[in-house]
Amino acid sequence: MRGGPSLVNFRWRFLLRSWPWLFLAGFLFFVRWSKGAVFSDVFALISRPFWPGTAQRVWLQNADQLEQESKLHLLERDNARLRTMLGLQASSKSDLVSVPVISRNPRGWWQQLQLGKGSLDGIQQGCAVVAPGGLVGIINSVTPKTSRVRLLTSPGTRIGVWVTRVERHGILLGMGTNRPQLTFLDKDPQVVVGDLLSTSPASTLLPPNLPVGVIQSLDTEALPAPNASIQLLAAPEAIDWVQVQKCKWLESSK
Amino acid sequence: MVRKFQIAAFAASGVLVPVMKLIEPNWLTIMGVAPSWPVLWLLPWALKGGRFKGVFAGLALGLLLDSISLGGASQIPVLVLLGFWWGHLGEHRSSSIDNSFNLGLLAFLGTAFFGLSLWFQFLLTQMSWSFSLFNAWSFQTLLSQSFLTGFLAPILCKRLLFIFRDLKLLS
Repeated sequence: MRGGPSLVNFRWRFLLRSWPWLFLAGFLFFVRWSKGAVFSDVFALISRPFWPGTAQRVWLQNADQLEQESKLHLLERDNARLRTMLGLQASSKSDLVSVPVISRNPRGWWQQLQLGKGSLDGIQQGCAVVAPGGLVGIINSVTPKTSRVRLLTSPGTRIGVWVTRVERHGILLGMGTNRPQLTFLDKDPQVVVGDLLSTSPASTLLPPNLPVGVIQSLDTEALPAPNASIQLLAAPEAIDWVQVQKCKWLESSK
Repeated sequence: MVRKFQIAAFAASGVLVPVMKLIEPNWLTIMGVAPSWPVLWLLPWALKGGRFKGVFAGLALGLLLDSISLGGASQIPVLVLLGFWWGHLGEHRSSSIDNSFNLGLLAFLGTAFFGLSLWFQFLLTQMSWSFSLFNAWSFQTLLSQSFLTGFLAPILCKRLLFIFRDLKLLS
């Protein structure tokens, strides 16, 4: 029993003196176990006034947009190169001519636009006319300073289109109404409402891959082939300027 | 000399018809369909001028309007026939023909005839898509244009008839 009371006193004194260190060690173990939860949260709370503001977010968005545009540009170049290798027609932005709409008849017996540029500006019969959204019509006739566009909605207008998702062809027929009719060439086209239409990638009459419209409704029971009602992406009633794609392919095919 | 100049000026006013066709103000349309401007001009002209001037004006208007349309149907035959019909009416019943109701009715019938002629030609020349011509679009265009022209005729045609009468033109 020698030294018993003094040893107990020593242990108590040691514990009393070292509890802050033990608490700190326990806290550090908790932080480690919680993967820095308390530490990170406290840091976030303290550093909140110094977080990046909206300006920096805009910079990042701009940088992201620039990156996407650069990628798109590179893909377009690649696409053009591959199309040239495959002998398919290609189009570029340098072939586009901006033209004002000087007269508009989107309804009635003839559905047409009159444009303020003509053959002197390189526009020819058969060129594609593009509005914000996509293809809006085809040049029907030209004078030296004007040109006339047959709208896709005009009765009797026919173009070949391509359903991009299922990679099927169809014929888009103007019906006089806002919604042209798409007639499929297959009995089972496997399309759904909402599918996007574009000009055919292998088209020799129109520039390839121009957006045209979206499938609005389907009639799979129609004979002799299923058909669909199409909502066009470009609205001819509301456009003041269009772009005419100069038809290099027409020149090369002559 | 002055009289010849006046007649020439009014004949030249026919150029306003294709101009109006190109302008086609939105506020003057029913469901996007504009009135038949050639009918509104040809009706008073033929009523006052008679058959010969009516036929000639119809031919001139048809040539002008065909030149600014997409094609597929011609407006010349129907405008020549309307010019002849209204000229004949003007020569034989000129006293009672120019009241508002008659003008409206003649314009309505003329526009319906005009639309039916185009419709028939489209059916003949574009047989491959003739089914699309039997849809609501054709009826909508025909009826909207006929009613709108019929409503406007008492205002516009009567005004033109007064001008022709006051200036003693075409008599």
